[in-house]
Amino acid sequence: MEEMAVLDVAEERRRRRRAGDPRLSEAGREILARMTTGDLADEFQAALDADVEADPILGGHHDDAA
Amino acid sequence: MIVVDEYLAVRVVGGRWPEGLPDDEDLVLPASRHWRLLQRIHAPGDGQLSQLLATLSPPDRDTIRYPHPEVLQIADARPLLDEAARIAARYGGTGWLIAETLAAGLTYGRTLWFGTERNVGHVLAQAAGDLGITVHVIT
Repeated sequence: MEEMAVLDVAEERRRRRRAGDPRLSEAGREILARMTTGDLADEFQAALDADVEADPILGGHHDDAA
Repeated sequence: MIVVDEYLAVRVVGGRWPEGLPDDEDLVLPASRHWRLLQRIHAPGDGQLSQLLATLSPPDRDTIRYPHPEVLQIADARPLLDEAARIAARYGGTGWLIAETLAAGLTYGRTLWFGTERNVGHVLAQAAGDLGITVHVIT
Protein backbone atom coordinates (compact mmCIF):
# COMPACT_ATOMS: atom_id res chain seq x y z
CA MET A 1 0.00 0.00 0.00
CA GLU A 2 2.80 2.44 0.92
CA GLU A 3 4.63 1.55 -2.28
CA MET A 4 1.54 2.43 -4.31
CA ALA A 5 1.27 5.77 -2.50
CA VAL A 6 4.88 6.59 -3.38
CA LEU A 7 4.22 5.66 -7.00
CA ASP A 8 1.13 7.89 -7.05
CA VAL A 9 3.13 10.85 -5.72
CA ALA A 10 5.88 10.32 -8.29
CA GLU A 11 3.34 10.08 -11.09
CA GLU A 12 1.58 13.23 -9.92
CA ARG A 13 4.88 15.13 -9.84
CA ARG A 14 5.66 13.92 -13.35
CA ARG A 15 2.23 15.02 -14.56
CA ARG A 16 2.62 18.50 -13.06
CA ARG A 17 6.14 18.85 -14.46
CA ARG A 18 4.97 18.02 -17.95
CA ALA A 19 1.96 20.33 -17.76
CA GLY A 20 4.06 23.48 -17.46
CA ASP A 21 3.55 26.47 -15.20
CA PRO A 22 -0.14 26.68 -14.25
CA ARG A 23 0.09 30.49 -13.96
CA LEU A 24 0.86 30.91 -17.65
CA SER A 25 -1.98 32.05 -19.92
CA GLU A 26 -2.66 30.52 -23.32
CA ALA A 27 -1.37 33.70 -24.98
CA GLY A 28 1.82 33.44 -22.94
CA ARG A 29 2.26 29.80 -23.92
CA GLU A 30 2.00 30.77 -27.56
CA ILE A 31 4.67 33.48 -27.26
CA LEU A 32 7.06 31.11 -25.47
CA ALA A 33 6.51 28.48 -28.15
CA ARG A 34 7.26 30.98 -30.96
CA MET A 35 10.40 32.04 -29.08
CA THR A 36 11.88 28.55 -28.78
CA THR A 37 10.59 26.51 -31.70
CA GLY A 38 8.81 29.00 -33.94
CA ASP A 39 9.40 32.09 -36.03
CA LEU A 40 11.10 34.02 -33.21
CA ALA A 41 13.78 31.41 -32.45
CA ASP A 42 16.47 33.17 -34.50
CA GLU A 43 15.83 36.43 -32.70
CA PHE A 44 15.91 34.64 -29.36
CA GLN A 45 19.27 33.04 -30.17
CA ALA A 46 20.67 36.36 -31.37
CA ALA A 47 19.69 37.96 -28.07
CA LEU A 48 21.31 35.14 -26.09
CA ASP A 49 24.49 35.48 -28.17
CA ALA A 50 24.51 39.25 -27.65
CA ASP A 51 24.47 38.75 -23.89
CA VAL A 52 27.75 36.80 -23.88
CA GLU A 53 29.36 39.22 -26.31
CA ALA A 54 28.40 42.23 -24.21
CA ASP A 55 29.40 40.82 -20.83
CA PRO A 56 32.96 39.46 -20.43
CA ILE A 57 32.18 37.94 -17.03
CA LEU A 58 29.35 35.96 -18.54
CA GLY A 59 31.01 35.21 -21.86
CA GLY A 60 34.68 35.03 -20.96
CA HIS A 61 37.51 35.66 -23.36
CA HIS A 62 36.54 33.12 -26.01
CA ASP A 63 34.80 34.01 -29.24
CA ASP A 64 32.42 31.13 -28.54
CA ALA A 65 28.74 32.03 -28.79
CA ALA A 66 27.83 29.46 -26.11
CA MET B 1 18.36 16.79 -11.28
CA ILE B 2 18.40 17.27 -15.04
CA VAL B 3 20.36 20.31 -16.23
CA VAL B 4 18.68 22.12 -19.13
CA ASP B 5 19.39 25.22 -21.22
CA GLU B 6 17.20 28.25 -21.85
CA TYR B 7 15.32 26.67 -24.75
CA LEU B 8 14.24 23.56 -22.89
CA ALA B 9 13.47 25.59 -19.76
CA VAL B 10 11.12 27.89 -21.66
CA ARG B 11 9.48 25.02 -23.50
CA VAL B 12 8.83 23.20 -20.25
CA VAL B 13 7.48 26.31 -18.52
CA GLY B 14 5.17 26.72 -21.52
CA GLY B 15 3.82 23.21 -21.13
CA ARG B 16 5.33 21.89 -24.36
CA TRP B 17 7.37 19.00 -23.07
CA PRO B 18 10.27 18.20 -25.41
CA GLU B 19 10.12 14.68 -26.77
CA GLY B 20 13.01 12.67 -25.34
CA LEU B 21 13.58 14.77 -22.22
CA PRO B 22 13.44 12.54 -19.10
CA ASP B 23 10.51 13.43 -16.86
CA ASP B 24 11.38 11.47 -13.74
CA GLU B 25 13.63 14.07 -12.09
CA ASP B 26 13.43 17.76 -11.29
CA LEU B 27 14.72 20.11 -13.98
CA VAL B 28 17.34 22.71 -13.13
CA LEU B 29 18.50 25.77 -15.07
CA PRO B 30 21.94 27.23 -14.24
CA ALA B 31 21.66 30.71 -12.74
CA SER B 32 23.73 32.28 -15.52
CA ARG B 33 21.23 30.95 -18.06
CA HIS B 34 18.33 32.21 -15.99
CA TRP B 35 20.12 35.57 -16.06
CA ARG B 36 20.01 35.53 -19.85
CA LEU B 37 16.27 34.82 -19.81
CA LEU B 38 15.76 37.65 -17.34
CA GLN B 39 17.53 40.02 -19.73
CA ARG B 40 14.76 39.34 -22.23
CA ILE B 41 12.21 40.45 -19.63
CA HIS B 42 13.98 43.39 -18.01
CA ALA B 43 16.29 44.69 -20.76
CA PRO B 44 14.39 44.07 -23.97
CA GLY B 45 15.64 45.13 -27.37
CA ASP B 46 13.58 46.63 -30.15
CA GLY B 47 12.80 43.48 -32.14
CA GLN B 48 9.56 41.60 -32.54
CA LEU B 49 10.42 39.21 -29.72
CA SER B 50 10.89 42.06 -27.28
CA GLN B 51 7.63 43.66 -28.36
CA LEU B 52 5.77 40.42 -27.77
CA LEU B 53 7.40 39.77 -24.41
CA ALA B 54 6.38 43.28 -23.39
CA THR B 55 2.76 42.24 -23.91
CA LEU B 56 3.01 39.43 -21.36
CA SER B 57 0.86 39.94 -18.29
CA PRO B 58 2.60 40.18 -14.90
CA PRO B 59 1.59 36.60 -13.98
CA ASP B 60 2.96 35.39 -17.32
CA ARG B 61 6.24 37.25 -16.76
CA ASP B 62 6.47 35.73 -13.29
CA THR B 63 6.66 32.26 -14.81
CA ILE B 64 10.08 33.27 -16.18
CA ARG B 65 11.13 35.53 -13.29
CA TYR B 66 10.18 33.05 -10.58
CA PRO B 67 9.67 29.62 -12.14
CA HIS B 68 7.28 27.26 -10.40
CA PRO B 69 9.61 24.86 -8.50
CA GLU B 70 7.56 21.83 -9.47
CA VAL B 71 8.21 22.70 -13.11
CA LEU B 72 11.67 24.26 -13.18
CA GLN B 73 14.27 25.05 -10.54
CA ILE B 74 17.11 27.57 -10.72
CA ALA B 75 20.46 26.16 -9.63
CA ASP B 76 22.00 27.75 -6.57
CA ALA B 77 25.24 29.14 -8.00
CA ARG B 78 27.12 29.24 -4.71
CA PRO B 79 28.04 25.55 -4.33
CA LEU B 80 29.00 25.48 -8.02
CA LEU B 81 31.29 28.52 -7.98
CA ASP B 82 34.54 26.85 -6.93
CA GLU B 83 34.19 24.10 -9.53
CA ALA B 84 33.17 26.69 -12.12
CA ALA B 85 36.24 28.81 -11.39
CA ARG B 86 38.45 25.73 -11.67
CA ILE B 87 36.89 24.91 -15.05
CA ALA B 88 37.27 28.51 -16.26
CA ALA B 89 40.95 28.48 -15.37
CA ARG B 90 41.51 25.06 -16.93
CA TYR B 91 39.96 26.03 -20.25
CA GLY B 92 41.48 29.47 -20.49
CA GLY B 93 39.13 32.26 -19.55
CA THR B 94 35.84 30.51 -20.07
CA GLY B 95 33.11 32.83 -18.82
CA TRP B 96 30.59 32.21 -16.10
CA LEU B 97 27.96 30.87 -18.49
CA ILE B 98 30.02 27.98 -19.81
CA ALA B 99 31.88 27.33 -16.55
CA GLU B 100 28.75 27.22 -14.40
CA THR B 101 26.91 25.04 -16.91
CA LEU B 102 29.79 22.55 -16.94
CA ALA B 103 30.01 22.62 -13.14
CA ALA B 104 26.27 21.90 -12.98
CA GLY B 105 26.79 19.04 -15.41
CA LEU B 106 29.54 17.57 -13.24
CA THR B 107 27.39 17.92 -10.14
CA TYR B 108 24.13 16.60 -11.56
CA GLY B 109 24.71 13.34 -13.39
CA ARG B 110 27.39 14.35 -15.90
CA THR B 111 24.71 15.16 -18.44
CA LEU B 112 23.51 18.41 -20.04
CA TRP B 113 20.38 18.91 -22.12
CA PHE B 114 20.07 21.61 -24.81
CA GLY B 115 17.18 22.62 -27.03
CA THR B 116 19.30 23.55 -30.03
CA GLU B 117 22.83 22.89 -31.24
CA ARG B 118 23.36 26.63 -31.72
CA ASN B 119 23.12 27.14 -27.96
CA VAL B 120 25.89 24.66 -27.14
CA GLY B 121 28.98 26.33 -28.60
CA HIS B 122 32.27 24.67 -29.49
CA VAL B 123 34.12 25.55 -26.27
CA LEU B 124 31.42 23.99 -24.09
CA ALA B 125 31.19 20.95 -26.36
CA GLN B 126 34.93 20.34 -26.27
CA ALA B 127 35.24 20.88 -22.53
CA ALA B 128 32.22 18.67 -21.83
CA GLY B 129 33.83 15.86 -23.78
CA ASP B 130 37.06 16.33 -21.90
CA LEU B 131 35.25 16.29 -18.55
CA GLY B 132 33.16 13.22 -19.35
CA ILE B 133 29.90 15.15 -19.56
CA THR B 134 27.36 13.98 -22.14
CA VAL B 135 25.60 16.74 -24.08
CA HIS B 136 22.16 15.89 -25.43
CA VAL B 137 20.44 18.13 -27.98
CA ILE B 138 16.71 17.66 -28.53
CA THR B 139 14.79 19.94 -30.84
